[in-house]
Amino acid sequence: MKWVPDTTAYDETFDRAAAARPHYRPLVATLESFTQAEIDRRERLQKISLVDQGITFTVYGEKDGIERIFPFDFVPRIIPAREWERIEAGLVQRVRALNLFISDVYQDQRCLKDGVIPPELVLSRREYKRELLRVTPPRQIYTHVVGTDIIRNDRGEYLILEDNCRCPSGVSYVLENRNLLHRVFPEFFTRYPVRPIREYPRLLLDTLLWAAPRASENPVAVVLTPGIHNSAYFEHSFLAREMGAFLVQGRDLIVEDSYVYMRTTGGRQRVDVIYRRVDEDFLDPLTFRRDSLLGVPGLVNVYREGNVAIANAPGAGVADDKAVYAYMPALIKYYLGEEALIGQVPTYVGLRKDDFAYMREHLAELVVKTTGDSGGYNMLMGPFAAKKEIEAYLAQMKKAPGSYVAQPLIELSSHPTYVGGRFEPRRIDLRPFILYGETIRVLPGGLTRVALREGSYVVNSSQGGGSKDTWVLAPRGS
Amino acid sequence: MLSRVADAVYWMGRYLERSENITRLLLVTEDFSTETQGLAEQVAQSAWKDLLAIFPAAQVAPPVSAFAPMSQGYLVGFFLDPSNPYSVHYSLRKARENARSVREALTVEAFLAINETFRALDGYARRGLTDPPALRDALGSTHKGLFATIGAIEHTFTRDESWLFLKLGESLERTYRTALVLRAKLPALGAAEPRADVALYYTQWRTLLRALGSLENYRRSYGARLEPELVVPFLLFDPHSPRSLRYGTDAVKTYLERIPGEPGPALRLVGRLHAELAYHDGLVAAGGEQAAFLDRVVDVMIQAHDALGTQYFAT
Repeated sequence: MKWVPDTTAYDETFDRAAAARPHYRPLVATLESFTQAEIDRRERLQKISLVDQGITFTVYGEKDGIERIFPFDFVPRIIPAREWERIEAGLVQRVRALNLFISDVYQDQRCLKDGVIPPELVLSRREYKRELLRVTPPRQIYTHVVGTDIIRNDRGEYLILEDNCRCPSGVSYVLENRNLLHRVFPEFFTRYPVRPIREYPRLLLDTLLWAAPRASENPVAVVLTPGIHNSAYFEHSFLAREMGAFLVQGRDLIVEDSYVYMRTTGGRQRVDVIYRRVDEDFLDPLTFRRDSLLGVPGLVNVYREGNVAIANAPGAGVADDKAVYAYMPALIKYYLGEEALIGQVPTYVGLRKDDFAYMREHLAELVVKTTGDSGGYNMLMGPFAAKKEIEAYLAQMKKAPGSYVAQPLIELSSHPTYVGGRFEPRRIDLRPFILYGETIRVLPGGLTRVALREGSYVVNSSQGGGSKDTWVLAPRGS
Repeated sequence: MLSRVADAVYWMGRYLERSENITRLLLVTEDFSTETQGLAEQVAQSAWKDLLAIFPAAQVAPPVSAFAPMSQGYLVGFFLDPSNPYSVHYSLRKARENARSVREALTVEAFLAINETFRALDGYARRGLTDPPALRDALGSTHKGLFATIGAIEHTFTRDESWLFLKLGESLERTYRTALVLRAKLPALGAAEPRADVALYYTQWRTLLRALGSLENYRRSYGARLEPELVVPFLLFDPHSPRSLRYGTDAVKTYLERIPGEPGPALRLVGRLHAELAYHDGLVAAGGEQAAFLDRVVDVMIQAHDALGTQYFAT
């Protein structure tokens, strides 16, 4: 077995002397006990299993074979208990602050008045929903489910890369990856106290029902999906099935007299909580986008009346803006009086004149993103871009400096990954999932995405990324 | 349950049943035409042409070459052609699409079975199989895959409304299609003279029973005797054989009755038909009234289908 430690980035598995780090030693030893042929056989088994189970996502803009499997790499990423404790505390702190921030933006806007964050940066965003000013969601929770992306720099420090406060996806792969690894490499688990993750659907259901407006009766929670053609449809149906909740589309719901009902074979049935996996702009054609066919006319009115909970609350997207991100350490301090427990990547905000001047001069060193897009679309990777590409991008930037942010390129940590019959280092990140119900809970681990192309930094599933099982180890003696 | 989901599982049941039906008809017709084409080419030809009456909107491409066996064009067209709305490929794809659109309402086992069966079938289509033995082999595997799917549904589904609507789709499709098979085959069979060619005559009746998956069930009732006066009433009125019209209508009626809520027009239509089949006087089995009766069965199933849509799916 040949291992190739990464020399440019922080290698999760091997130290600088190319020796396995203590928490990876049993895994490396187990893998070394297999023959190449055996490993290849297991890998084939795993691929067949994915296709047979229809664990797929949809790639937009591809005509043929639009259902694709999300590639899975069987070498698990391992996080020691002590490291996870710090990540978990940092995430709980961050989500609490995010929720307070959103709540403030839609109530008194203290943070704007106190100058913690420039008002134009918040109020001019498409994600800021003026229609929802002074509307209080049930239990004042906006961010029921958050997916926060974390990376590690070349020194191995964990850094927050971005927050997803609207409809973070990927958790079904977290659960399925674990199932798959159990089946394909049961040997891995014999020497590690891996914290279980199977209860996520139950925790999610608890989180949703906690927000139900009529708590006394039997509240009904549904998962709202745009439908089978959405890239995350597998996950929507997976979660509905695991929670025993109805999976509904916009046309299944109807608003009458300030309540939401679903159309059933036995007539109409009231709905209390909507776990919406539909972009908020499409939620209600009467309030947001008029051309939306995915939404439910009048839904936002019911929400305003307090007769339905929507998770995540419409308008929550104002907090996961890439420019707001730059102010998160200040916001955490402002609302909680604490220093942020997890660091983040230095960010230049195009809205600030000095920052924009710096961005113009240093584009070739920076990663530039637009504030609206996600999924790795429409970004510039300065260090890898041709001069022409940079110039074209700059011309675009000048038209709307305020919609761009830039960050120095972080050498994402890398992890041995089985590619083409060899273990090679590939860049990874981590998306933990945080649930805000009666308390704030973090699913141990999360989705480790891996850039399967050599040297690539882009881990998104839509751009050639794959994923790994992510292990959080239980503390010793527990 | 959600109306949209009820609609999807109902269609899933219909398409699954249809897939199994077409697969069986292809296997049986291929057998028959291989056996008879040297003896009586016309008879073999018309057995294939009957498929176009049983699946009225089917589109079948002409044979690949003049030397190809006559079955080839029909086999390819009804088995693998993705654009023929009555091919196994098309039907199973639709069943899987419906399954996928309501995956949360199905059991994992049922979804896996249908997904695997379709993927194997799609593989045959992509490879462009044309060789009749290879097609037969693939048809046989597909048939097993379909039975695995149906078995997974039987063994894992909770008997709730989803299951009821699925079974309703299945039994309605089955009854409807059985009536169409009989409507297509009986007139010519009834007019044929046994004395002309006794062996061929009985092969045709045996093939009819096989085409409706009923040969063994018939033998259990009547032994090896193969008399038209016994076969027709068996296929129409037998209370136990799952592909008789009576059994099918009974199933549709039973599932309709079990759906919670007020009974609707579909149940009235099917209930009346069921009474006729259960308390028949034997007359419709013979001669002149036969065709009209079968047309009425087809009609009732179409009307029941429409009534279901209005009552449950478009709320």
